[in-house]
Amino acid sequence: MGDHVQQKPRDGTTSSHRSTPAATPPSSASSPLKKGTQQVELELRLLEAFAIYRPSLLAGMHRHFILFGLMHHLERRLNQRFSPDEVLQLLDRFFNLDLLEPDDEELELVNHKEDFSLPQSILEEIKRKKISS
Amino acid sequence: MGSSSAMVKDEAEDSGVEKTETGPFKEGEKVLAYHGPLVYDTKIQKAEFQKNEWKYFVHYLGWSKNWDEWVGADRLMKPTEGNLEKQKKLFKSQTGDKQSKGRVPAGKQKSASERDELKNENKLSGTRGKKRKSDPVSESKVTDELDQALKISLPGTLKKQLVEDWEFITQLGKLVKLPRSPSAEEIFKKYIDCKTKRDGAVDDSLIEVLNGLRSYFDKSLPAMLLYPQERAQYASAVPAGSDVSPCSIYGAEHLLRLFVKLSELLVYTNMEHEALTQLQQKLADFVKFLQRNQSNFFLTSYA
Repeated sequence: MGDHVQQKPRDGTTSSHRSTPAATPPSSASSPLKKGTQQVELELRLLEAFAIYRPSLLAGMHRHFILFGLMHHLERRLNQRFSPDEVLQLLDRFFNLDLLEPDDEELELVNHKEDFSLPQSILEEIKRKKISS
Repeated sequence: MGSSSAMVKDEAEDSGVEKTETGPFKEGEKVLAYHGPLVYDTKIQKAEFQKNEWKYFVHYLGWSKNWDEWVGADRLMKPTEGNLEKQKKLFKSQTGDKQSKGRVPAGKQKSASERDELKNENKLSGTRGKKRKSDPVSESKVTDELDQALKISLPGTLKKQLVEDWEFITQLGKLVKLPRSPSAEEIFKKYIDCKTKRDGAVDDSLIEVLNGLRSYFDKSLPAMLLYPQERAQYASAVPAGSDVSPCSIYGAEHLLRLFVKLSELLVYTNMEHEALTQLQQKLADFVKFLQRNQSNFFLTSYA
């Protein structure tokens, strides 16, 4: 996985020598000078993936499908399988995952109570079958 | 920092505008911001008048707060259709990869920014719930494409199950007796057991899919999977403030309803077409599992 992955303790605490990105732009990777092309490619693909799969969604109900999407994206482009944990480790390099909070939109969705209704197509299909049987 | 309310008022009074004006943008507003070669979605945290111009402290949505910074109005844009197009174009020119446009169903392409535009529209009108009902066209257009890509067609017997479920509850005044056995949680476990026996091991990505279904089920059950006749029952089965998860109480009847709503939820993930195809395969397999075990998992009569 390279020498830049920092192990984050699972109890949510952060170690004191964990580097957080300071005033460097999100569009360029903030890493020390020496880096293999593999590393650069990995980070590039990750940043590309973040434009599709919003990292902020990891904090909410879509988390697992976002991870699924990220895993798929990376595997397809790097010809290498990543487990969900490995993907999270990679994400950890760019984001303080502890600080992510559920989107406003998710709160709206969860709080907005909409009654379930069966799609007309299903109702009609079954009614037709009942009539003809 | 240089801003004083007196100065703001003078400026405002001089230009004859409202006292609360903070330049072209305001606090809490979601705007597009240039950073490096790309344009990002941001939210304005603070606005201050510094050295004869308005400056905005922006937070890049989805990024750590460490990236928050002061920017001038020159780097910001309102999320209009034209500007969102710009965002899309810049992203395209950076990656030059067709796959990264997000879901690409044949003939119709929806990118991250178009999805955001829909979301932005909803956000700006502040009536997301109403928008769902009063603007079925834009909502259903997006989910229709997703439905196509997902192609989760339920087998006839499960559709029949849904209709009977509908009849019992909305026509005959009956309810599903809770707690259910097997519960949705138990059904997921049985599925994993079944796959393990058959294939020896279970794929990482399949686990994520099942976890995802569980997460959707728990969060969306009260929000979109209940008939109005079931609300009172829900209130006592899952008391407010308790940590009872719907997954442990409700069963296959409600799990099936989730499949009807799945594309509405997956829209938010902006999943790429290929990933959707893979997902569809896994979901179809799970649905077959439900069908094979229909007599064990589903009630044939309600109380």
